[in-house]
Amino acid sequence: MKVDLYNRICAAQKMSRRQVLKSGAALGAVAAMPKMSMAASHGNLRAEILKIPGVGAGSPTDADWQKVGEMVLGATKANVSEGEFAGVELTFMGLNNQNLHNFLFRGFLKPWEAYTGAKINWIDLAQADYNARLQQSIATGTVDFDIIEMGAPFEGDVLGKGLASEMPAWVREQIDMNDYVGYLQAPVGTWGGKTYRVSIDGDCHTFSYRKDYYDDASMAEAWAAEGDGSAWEAPKTWQMVQKHTKFLKGKTDPLTGLDAYGYLDPLKGWGGFGFYFLESRATAYAKHPGDPAWLFDPDTMKPRVNNPAFVRAIQDVLDVMADQPADQINADPGTTGFQEFLAGTGSMLSWWGDIGSSARTSDTSVVGDVVGFSMLPGSDDVYNNATGQWENTPNEAPNMAYIGWGVYVMATVDGDAKKHKAAWSAAAHLGGKDIALWMSAYPSGFQPYRNSQFNYDEWEAAGYDRAFIQDYLGSNLDSYNHPNAAIEPRIPGIFQYYSVAEDELAKTYAGQYASAQEGADAIAAAWDKITDQIGRESQIKLYKASLGM
Amino acid sequence: MSTQGDLLHIVTSDTISPRRVRAGRVLVWVAGLGFLGVAAWQILFASGRVPWGFDNWRPVLLAYLVWATALCAAQVIVRGEAGKRTLFILPAVLFVVSLVVFPLLFGLYISFTDWNLASQQGMQPNGLNNLRQMWNDAFFWNALKNMVYYVLAVFVEYAIAFGLALLLNAQIRARKFFRVTFLLPLMLSPVAVSWMIGKSMMEIRFGPLARLARELGWDRPSFFGSPEVARFMIMAMDAWTFIPFMMIMLLAGLQALPKEVIEASKVDGASAWQSFWEVIFPLMLPVSVTAIVIRVIFKLKLADIIINVTSGGPGGATDSVTSFIFREYRDRSNVGYGTLLAMVYLVLIIIFVTLLLKVVARFMERPQ
Repeated sequence: MKVDLYNRICAAQKMSRRQVLKSGAALGAVAAMPKMSMAASHGNLRAEILKIPGVGAGSPTDADWQKVGEMVLGATKANVSEGEFAGVELTFMGLNNQNLHNFLFRGFLKPWEAYTGAKINWIDLAQADYNARLQQSIATGTVDFDIIEMGAPFEGDVLGKGLASEMPAWVREQIDMNDYVGYLQAPVGTWGGKTYRVSIDGDCHTFSYRKDYYDDASMAEAWAAEGDGSAWEAPKTWQMVQKHTKFLKGKTDPLTGLDAYGYLDPLKGWGGFGFYFLESRATAYAKHPGDPAWLFDPDTMKPRVNNPAFVRAIQDVLDVMADQPADQINADPGTTGFQEFLAGTGSMLSWWGDIGSSARTSDTSVVGDVVGFSMLPGSDDVYNNATGQWENTPNEAPNMAYIGWGVYVMATVDGDAKKHKAAWSAAAHLGGKDIALWMSAYPSGFQPYRNSQFNYDEWEAAGYDRAFIQDYLGSNLDSYNHPNAAIEPRIPGIFQYYSVAEDELAKTYAGQYASAQEGADAIAAAWDKITDQIGRESQIKLYKASLGM
Repeated sequence: MSTQGDLLHIVTSDTISPRRVRAGRVLVWVAGLGFLGVAAWQILFASGRVPWGFDNWRPVLLAYLVWATALCAAQVIVRGEAGKRTLFILPAVLFVVSLVVFPLLFGLYISFTDWNLASQQGMQPNGLNNLRQMWNDAFFWNALKNMVYYVLAVFVEYAIAFGLALLLNAQIRARKFFRVTFLLPLMLSPVAVSWMIGKSMMEIRFGPLARLARELGWDRPSFFGSPEVARFMIMAMDAWTFIPFMMIMLLAGLQALPKEVIEASKVDGASAWQSFWEVIFPLMLPVSVTAIVIRVIFKLKLADIIINVTSGGPGGATDSVTSFIFREYRDRSNVGYGTLLAMVYLVLIIIFVTLLLKVVARFMERPQ
């Protein structure tokens, strides 16, 4: 769970004396319980770990992380005997974002270290340094870590080069991979038919909109007069997003009393991550249900970014640029999300799921009570790349932008059976089913990624507001399990493609190309150059492998 | 001990036996050959031509250090006291060669390869392809064009800095206070400036500068929306940070001017303007040129503010060569091409600064 969501819930549920007594009693009971009975009562385990430290009892500390790590150790004990890894040293490379990620892992793994006898050394990286550090390690052959926290887009760079260790069957059982949400099932996490990834996170873009715009009677009236005759409701297709955005120009925001705006496009690059937002506009047009590929042609690596579907998405942006706030050309996704949408500017936004929690908790957010969520809009028609024709069938294709973090074991451990088992055991400990529930309920930096994490009864029993959780998490769940989810190519250098696309898009939006097509062609040309540089044949092979073809 | 020769500089003049000389030379040769042998073997191993070698290049580095130590020791063995004098400078030379010259040559090699960190094949020489790519790279030329604008802005900064320096050199109230105050922006990191000013004060909805602009009648202020305004804003933020640097140099120059000359000009009836233009300004030329050249060199490195505030946008209007290289190298892991761009830029800078110094040398000649 993201920090913001947790804080919101804490703030919303102000600690009452009754709750303090309840939590105190629960904690006392847990403390008094003999270890054996705790281990035996697995049915209660999930409810019990949700009480560490307890909703409304402040942010969890290292002691809490260790306690959680201790409580979920049962799965490890089933596969590893006490002291089995004595003398083994492992190095774990991960992030230190917001003092989460590695900081949690340290606490979670401390009881694991105590039980197994292994020792873990840590490499903490800032997000901004992560890609460069990883790429340099790979390129210079200095993989100095045994376990890595890594996003799926890098699988091409790591798995494609045979640098990771294949997951043993016992790990698959221990972590219950069948519980993963749809899109995290194979081929994500697999390469050439082998499984490598222990998922610990899920990611997708969802659609956030302002409910007050659609509840506003005067807006509905104006839409009835000026609109296309459709109902005044949150748009379900990009076609409607466009119409609403144009319609809202010149209107007044019902909440702030300032200018009303529709959809917010980030028109400035964001170190490659900005391209996800054009993708979110394009997937409904470009991701055909009958074709797993949508960004490149898997047989030739020919970019599809200049096909009519993507060109339409770029044209959509160009069409509504004048209807967006004055300085939009200089707005990156951070601006559209936090400085605009949350601050009451604009009514529609694509963003990662956690913007929803920020809407309720961020100090600068004014839209907390008027924000609604849904899957990304669909389209009235879809482009079929195989036939080169538009098909007049409605289409939805949520963008699984970035796919989420996972834990991977490096091939450096493969020569040593004891180390190999130790590394996989540590990874499995972090990717366990029960620890996942705790990670989604408390600040961890991770989104839900298992179907079992969407059991709203558990959340409610733990003290969460059901309506909010259902609305916010529901949009994620729908996206995760969508049969036509657009999964990005897990090929080497994917962020190089995104980065150069951002540069060309910036030129397109600044009017330096005569048309959207010309801008898209420039992106495609640059992508072809990158493909040739990285090696077209190997990219084709790896792309097919990543698609499970 | 000899009583002949350069007794002023050499305390002792050793009598060194031919055997000792030979031993010293053998030491250097053995260490040198050892170093070359280890390096050559590791190169062959790395390129797959021999089946076994070291896991990493550390042994080659150690062999180099052994050779460097042997070279230093041999100076004393072969040349005695004179060799000891060499030891004052030789380690520094070896250090510079190791950390500057070698990386430069290695960088030069990389710049003629297609090294992309994501590439399966690793680093492959690709002849002049990177140069050709650069020649056709609209982003690079655009960034270079922007650099011309940025560098020209230095002259405006110079004029402002000179004005401020004159003010602070005059007998004004609270002169020391103003001197310190005007220096404050220089103490800020450009990254802090870009966040505090570019991202916060100029934030178009809530930033105080945007509010002020609205108060002054600019309905929808946009500081980075159009290419010209965005470029100007970057220039202004950079100028705000670095004008104090030029100002302090010019102020130091002003304070070092001979007072008699200025007083003589006043006695001769020169007006304030004449005194400035005919006396102070020419006398300040050497300091001015130094300040401008150093500032130009700073300016050629301009990147941090751009990366943070505009990422080179809108549409490349604010891109500098360095910020473009940053994207090419860091975001796209395009090491070969990025290095070539950096090398070309280095050469351009050297040519530009050399020419600049040649041109200004004409104004700086002092009577002997």
